[in-house]
Order: sequence, then C-alpha cells, then structure tokens
Amino acid sequence: MTLKHQLVVDHLAAGYGEKTILNDINVAIKPGQITSIIGANACGKSTLLRTMSRLISPSNGQVLLDGKSIHSTPTRQLAQTLGLLPQSPIAPEGITVSDLVSRGRHPHHGFLSRWRKEDDEAIAKALETTKTTELLDREIDELSGGQRQRVWIAMALAQETNILLLDEPTTFLDVAHQIEVLDLLVDLNQTRGTTIVLVLHDLNLAARYSDQLIAIQQGQVCANGTPNEVVTEDMIHAVFGLQSQVITDPISGRPMVLPIGRHKKIKHT
Amino acid sequence: MINTSSTLARVTNGRKNRSKRWKCVVSLLCLLAVAAFSITLTLGQSFTPPQDVINVLLGENVPGASFVVGQLRLPRAIISLLVGMSFGMAGVAFQVMLRNPLASPDIIGVSSGATAAAVFAIIVLHMDGSSVAFFSIAVGLLVALAVYGLSYRNGASGARLILVGIGVSAMIESFIVYLLSQAQAWDRQEAMRWLSGSVNSAQIHQALPLILSLLVFGGFLLSRSRDLEALRMGDDTAHALGVRVGMTRITVIVSAVGLIAVGVAITGPIAFVAFLSGPIAVRLVKNNGSLLIPSGLVGACLVMGGDYIGQFLLPSRYPVGVITGALGAPYLIYLIIRVNRKGGSL
Repeated sequence: MTLKHQLVVDHLAAGYGEKTILNDINVAIKPGQITSIIGANACGKSTLLRTMSRLISPSNGQVLLDGKSIHSTPTRQLAQTLGLLPQSPIAPEGITVSDLVSRGRHPHHGFLSRWRKEDDEAIAKALETTKTTELLDREIDELSGGQRQRVWIAMALAQETNILLLDEPTTFLDVAHQIEVLDLLVDLNQTRGTTIVLVLHDLNLAARYSDQLIAIQQGQVCANGTPNEVVTEDMIHAVFGLQSQVITDPISGRPMVLPIGRHKKIKHT
Repeated sequence: MINTSSTLARVTNGRKNRSKRWKCVVSLLCLLAVAAFSITLTLGQSFTPPQDVINVLLGENVPGASFVVGQLRLPRAIISLLVGMSFGMAGVAFQVMLRNPLASPDIIGVSSGATAAAVFAIIVLHMDGSSVAFFSIAVGLLVALAVYGLSYRNGASGARLILVGIGVSAMIESFIVYLLSQAQAWDRQEAMRWLSGSVNSAQIHQALPLILSLLVFGGFLLSRSRDLEALRMGDDTAHALGVRVGMTRITVIVSAVGLIAVGVAITGPIAFVAFLSGPIAVRLVKNNGSLLIPSGLVGACLVMGGDYIGQFLLPSRYPVGVITGALGAPYLIYLIIRVNRKGGSL
C-alpha cells in the first residue's frame, strides 16, 4: 500500500443539535503517520474524530479526503479508504472471532456480490497482524478486554483502509494491554503504511506513540505539532488547567508530563 | 512470519461451515413448513389420502375431497404460510434493526396501529378487500413514524423507542375497544373474531396481495440484508463499514410495516408471530447468516402449526391467534425479566 491519502479538516464547526462543540478547526493529518487528539474531558476531541469519520455532519466547513468532501462522497466508497473503530462497538450475541473480523469486508461487497479469495486473505492477514489467529473460533463474549480490542482492530484491518481512526482504543484496558494495543498500531503504521488517527486520554502514551499531536481546548485547536513542540508545561496548563513538570521520558526520549498535585510532594528542607 | 496459509485455510473453512450451517437450517425449516402444509391439506376432521390431495391440487374433480381440500384446507394452508412469512420477516427486521427482541412490531404499536385502522375501516367506513389493506398500511406507517419521531433525540435509541411504542400501543388498543363499543352487534362479533387473528375465513384470492407484498416488501428487505447484519454491530460501526444507516432504517421500516399491515388486513393480528419468529430463528441460525429467510419460515411454521393445534388438537376450536398468543406471552415475560437484568440484544 504505497498510495497515501490526504485527510484535511477545513474551517470545521460541528456539534449535537443546537449545541456547537467544535469551532473553526483547521488541521491536516500527515499521511503515513500516527496522530493523537488530546484534550480535557468534553473538549470536543471525540466529536472531532466522529466528524472526521462522517458520523456527525459539520454545521460549517468540511472534512476533505484527497480534496473531496467526505460528507458528499458515497459512504461505501469512503469506507474503502477511511476506517473507524468507534468507542463502544457492539458484538452480536454469540458471534465468533472469525465471523466478526469477516464483517470488515462489508464495504468491498455490493448487493449480491460473491465472496472472493482476496476477502479471506484480507481476513487471515488481519488476524495474524493482530495475533488473534488462535482466537479464531472463540466467541467474543468469552474474551478478555485486551483480546476483544485486538479483535475489533482486526475487523477494522480487514476493511483494508489506508486511514484508520480510533476513538479511545485503550479505555477500560489495563496498562499492559494499553501498550499491547498501541504497539500493534505502530506495527500497522510501519508495515502497512496506514495513517492512524486516535483519541487518547493518556498524555504520556500519546506523546510516546504519536508523530503528531493535536491538542483541543473548548472546541478549538490549542496546539498542533510534534510531541516535543506540543507537550510543554504552558500547554498542559492551558488545556488541562494542571500544574505540571515536563521531563524527557528516559525510554523514548519524548516529553513526559509529571502532574503537580497539592499533596504527596517531597518536603525540601 | 507466522504461517499465513494455515490461517487462510481456517478462515475459509470457518466461512464455509457458517454458510453450510445456514443452508442446513433453512432446508430443515423448509421441510418443516412443507410437512405442516401437507398435514393441513391431508389431515383434518377426516383423512384425505395424499393421492386425492394431489389430484385436487392438479385440478381434477375428486368427489368429497375437492370441496374439503380445495375450498377449505388449501386456502387456509396458503394464507397461513404467506401471513406467517410476512410476520416473521417483518418482526426480525425490526428486532435486528433496533438490536432488541422487544422491538417487534406487535410490541411497539405497529401491529395495533394497522389493526385499529382495519377495524375502523370495517366498522365505520364499511370498506372491504384491498382498500382495508391500503388503509392499514398507511396508518401502520404513520404509527411507526410517530413512534420513531417521538423517541428521536440525538438519534433514535432502541430502548426509548420500545417504551414509546408500548405507550402508543396501549393508546391504540383503547381506541380499538372504543370502536368496538360503538359498533353494531353483528359488526362487533365479526370484528372480534378477526381481532383474535384467524385464518378461518381464508379465501384463495386473498393470497394475491400477500404474494405481492412478500415480493415487493420482502424483496426490499432481502436487498438490505447485508446492511441489516452490519447494523447489529451498532450504528457507528455500520456507518464506518459504509452502510447508509438512515436510508437503511427508512427502507426497513417501510418494508416491514408493509408486510405487517397487509397481513393484518387479511387475517387480523396473529399474536406474537412477529415477536417470536426472530428469536427462534436466531437460536437455530446462530450468527451464520441473514435471519430474514429463516425467520420468515419460522413464522410460517408457527401460523400453520398454531392453526392446526387450535383446530384439531384441543378440546374446543380456537383461532390461531389464541394459540400463538399463549405461546408468546410466557416468552415476553421471560424476556422482560432477562432484559431487565442484563440488557437485550438479538
């Protein structure tokens, strides 16, 4: 997959009903990179991701995929380039892993089209990339949270899109499984060249795993750039209202945020 | 790298097994439907030898058998089959679309809307035949859209829609009772018999509207079956997979209401067939393919079987709706208890 698609958010405003949540957002997602959207609760980061994946229609401005507005592109055609893993997808009761993953092929089929060999190949590849081959015949309900999340990612992979959006893929996972999922996304980015955009809660993981960070504050872009450019003590204060100290992560060399609370500080004598 | 070819083989096998299982279930249900159909034709108050039945079906005049089989049993069997399929398909379409077994048209007011319209058409407007059907389709659609509209807030939620539907349904039921209280004695008796859902007065010419409705509305539903399957994973995921969610919803609602309303106009609301067929089909098919056809066949078997039980296997005769109602009610109670405990999905 050498073809790189360009996703650009242009003067975007969006919200739910009367309530405007996003205001005049302008960002270009760098093709072939991992971009994280960060920000405080209810700042609009999920809304931005959902608008970028056309789950929400913008009230103003547009989201452009290769220069064409995604809200006027036929949705099945779009689904072949732009994939999305929503925050809480629903698994039909009793569905097996291989069945669920195979549903990622939906956009590649019209009414009455036959199943092709390449469909099975895409599914097998997705299972292997996510290391879920062993779970193939198991039911989703019996899997652990981490396994389940890998299976959902496998479904999104079977869709074979060049761009993959993920809404908080690490929520409800313990730290080991969070790392596992993020490592998997990096694998994907490196081996398939997939452009990845995700909403992340954990600032330090976002700084470590992303090439680009977009910080949202009250529906507007507050900072946009590499982790080193974006994660500063001033930015953390502006976006989260939190006093902190930013140091260099000894493992990745990326910035790392140490929050300064009111308690539990070393007493300097 | 891991062994891709063995994974590929397992994926291919898994898919083939799923489609095999689906075909197996559908064949079995077809067999069951054929069996119920044949029993209805051969075995009633009296036994008609299969040879005579076949001769009657071929259009020959067989003394004795021609009237019993051709005039009484055949229309009954055909109408039961078609109405059962219509209710079964429509019910599961709603249940899958809203991801809740309680979202069946006979729970959320669609069936009672169509019923009220038909009662009104018969008692007050003195309509008959196809005009009753058109009237009840129109009202059924109106009720469905009203329930959908009333429960719409930042997108339609299944649970809210069901609660609104149950409320609307109760209002409509009371309207039906009011209509009955105002009706002439003769009309009332006629309406009551029809309200309990029965194929007693089935006539062969009634098959035509049912066949047309199955071809048109059922065909529409089948053309959306893949999108419906995707909707089972939530609206967001379906959207991400390229399903036009709003468009699919509208098509499914209109088609399912059409199927229900045409059926209701002919046999009356046969209780709980739409509600029971889907969950039974799900238990047979599991996740091995589209539920529309299996559920239609289950519906057909329920109506034919229920009618046979009501006619011949009980001490006195009951219309089919009484039998299916008696089957459905305990399941409804079970479902409400279970959904209350762990949340429902189909």
